[in-house]
Amino acid sequence: MRRILAQARKELVQVARDRMALILALVLPAFLLLLMSTAISLTVDEMPMIVQNLDGSSASIRLLDAFRASLTFKIVPWSVDANPERALSSGVARAALIVPEHFGRDMARGGGAAVQLLVDASDANTAQQVSGYAQQVVNSYNIGLASPGRSAPVTAAIRLWFNPGRDSKKFYGPGIFVLALTLFPTLLAALAVSKEGEEKTILQVYVSNISAHEYLLGKIAAIMVVFACEAVILMALLLTYFGLHLAGDPTPFVVASILYAFCVASFGVMVGASIPNQLGAVAVVALGGFLLVFILSGLLFPIENIPPALRWMSNFVWGRYYIEVVRDALLQGGGWPATWYKVGIIGLIGSVFYSVAWWNMRAMQVRD
Amino acid sequence: MFLGRFRALILKEFRQARRDRRIAFVAIGAPTIQLLVFGFVLSATVTNLPLGVVDESATPESREVVAALTESKSFRLGGYYSSVNDLGAALGRGDLDAGVVIPYDYARNLQRGLPVTMQFFMNATNANTAAIGQGYVAGVLGSYASQLAMGGIHVRRPPPGVRPVVTRGIVVLKTDYLYDPGLVGSWFMVTGILGMLLILNGSLLSSTMMVKEKSAGTIEQLLMSPATTTEIIIAKITPLFTLLLIMGTIALVAIRFVFGVPFQGNVLVVFAGAVLCMLSGIGLGMLVATLTKTAQQAQLSVFFLNPPLASLSGAFTPIQAMPKWLQPLTLLNPIAYFATIVRGALIKGSGIDVLWPDFLGLGLFTLVVVSLSVWRYRSQLG
Repeated sequence: MRRILAQARKELVQVARDRMALILALVLPAFLLLLMSTAISLTVDEMPMIVQNLDGSSASIRLLDAFRASLTFKIVPWSVDANPERALSSGVARAALIVPEHFGRDMARGGGAAVQLLVDASDANTAQQVSGYAQQVVNSYNIGLASPGRSAPVTAAIRLWFNPGRDSKKFYGPGIFVLALTLFPTLLAALAVSKEGEEKTILQVYVSNISAHEYLLGKIAAIMVVFACEAVILMALLLTYFGLHLAGDPTPFVVASILYAFCVASFGVMVGASIPNQLGAVAVVALGGFLLVFILSGLLFPIENIPPALRWMSNFVWGRYYIEVVRDALLQGGGWPATWYKVGIIGLIGSVFYSVAWWNMRAMQVRD
Repeated sequence: MFLGRFRALILKEFRQARRDRRIAFVAIGAPTIQLLVFGFVLSATVTNLPLGVVDESATPESREVVAALTESKSFRLGGYYSSVNDLGAALGRGDLDAGVVIPYDYARNLQRGLPVTMQFFMNATNANTAAIGQGYVAGVLGSYASQLAMGGIHVRRPPPGVRPVVTRGIVVLKTDYLYDPGLVGSWFMVTGILGMLLILNGSLLSSTMMVKEKSAGTIEQLLMSPATTTEIIIAKITPLFTLLLIMGTIALVAIRFVFGVPFQGNVLVVFAGAVLCMLSGIGLGMLVATLTKTAQQAQLSVFFLNPPLASLSGAFTPIQAMPKWLQPLTLLNPIAYFATIVRGALIKGSGIDVLWPDFLGLGLFTLVVVSLSVWRYRSQLG
């Protein structure tokens, strides 16, 4: 135990002395969290839209007023006789609403009066949002504005749970939190071990009487301390700047965080022990830590959207489970019933990484 | 004389690049894999959201509205629940993404012509899913309501004593999706990611290749040769540029035939943009190389330059969704310009006449970065 602590202390002193490592460890994660979760959002407001009113009746003007009043659309000027498609292809607008002639007459007659909405679908997801918002504006126009004495037979009172403001930051914040906590501690752990291999200082460790377990656990303990510091800084940001708060029982989150710290530190140590070359280790961490966790964990898009041929892979991505636990702790508040097996899997994957790292180091001998 | 010396230099660089297998892999193999994986895996489509139902009415009418909601591809039936509390718990566990509560007087009020309101819950953790799901509900109920109206069910709720003088029609919204009528999400993704890969891998490779002679100390030998610094720099860039050109071509073939993006416009426009994009990637890498001493430092710096470049580019999220104060930063981003060019030329079929501002922006960026890096590199060589 004493030897583990000594090893951990030496590791922390090294990190604290190396300015590059210190920036890597403490400043960059916070920067990444702020930048990425502010920049990444899929929900669009103030969509530029053009309108062409070929009718001019009072009904058509009221319909266009409804669009003008919405926060989602921003009406940009466009001449009535110019080709509306031109506005979309040049990127002036993302949607065009065209009210045909005789719209007012059709409305007064009763029955359906059609208006056309052209949507730039080169971004399919945004296109779906735009058409959904437009449909909502039209629905509320139909209910209220068109005929004040009448209302639609069936309406839905939609309640948004867990994130009522539909704030993207609150969804991506916890995800980027996990991404940062995956990337940087892993990188530090991998560099700490591979550096000893590259600079051959590992030989001094081999000739000492320290065992493989003690050596690895010492490194892991140091990285877990770094992880804890990072987690505190990032969590402080989430709770203040992002306006999140702990929803429900925080104990699953705390337990999962400790296990996850062990998991990423073990992954880094495993990479470092297998590749005694700093550049190679960084490349593997970039590929394994960053790419896997970034794209296969449901950070950006739901896992269900991944085609089944690739989806099974996400079951092995450690970051995925921690993201789900963090989101649960900060948004949904499902507590242990919702998360117990995820916490378990994080521990399981971590011990697999540790075993592989130990297997590589167990002899404490120079490999030939 | 000049050509002979220059040829020898280029030959040397090409041979070096060919001997290092890793370079070819990083330049061609890795980006191709990344393009395929990103294109297939990153998808924002919102379909088959599990919808839980509490049917307190239990009538043909209530089952009809449930069927109307779940027969579309947006929602699927996630199960019936006996109480709102059970439904809420399932939503909290993540078993459901949405829930609907149909009140006990649903059918009765519908027959009487009184307006009915159903309670609809959505898990809004993912803002995008919630926004699109809300739109689906509006669309489904809108068409359901007009069906009811056609079927003779009208809501009569005139204010007491006042009869509406005119009956009015209903606005029917006809939505047409231009350019990508099938709403294939991967088209947006792969056209954005192409630029990201060119910049990312271009800068990574050029920084490692440039810093290599510096850290190995062989740069002195090059300087002692009669070659000018300009020749050295051009010779260093050429093999890299060739590799990136091959990678870009492979990527475009994959975009056309694997992802089925229609090539509406001129591919040469895309290539012109790609060349500028590659040059600015190489320039960025060179710039980093002049600021660092070892390959490790260079690689790490590139590693941290890229996340901000990628996330502020609109390559996989729409620029309009960023906060207003961040959006101007995309004007400094080559990936953003190139994404607009690729999407414009391939998906929308736009030509230079529409895309010239983006070419101008990209060209300016390339010019500044390349001349800055060449200047710094040259002064370091001297």
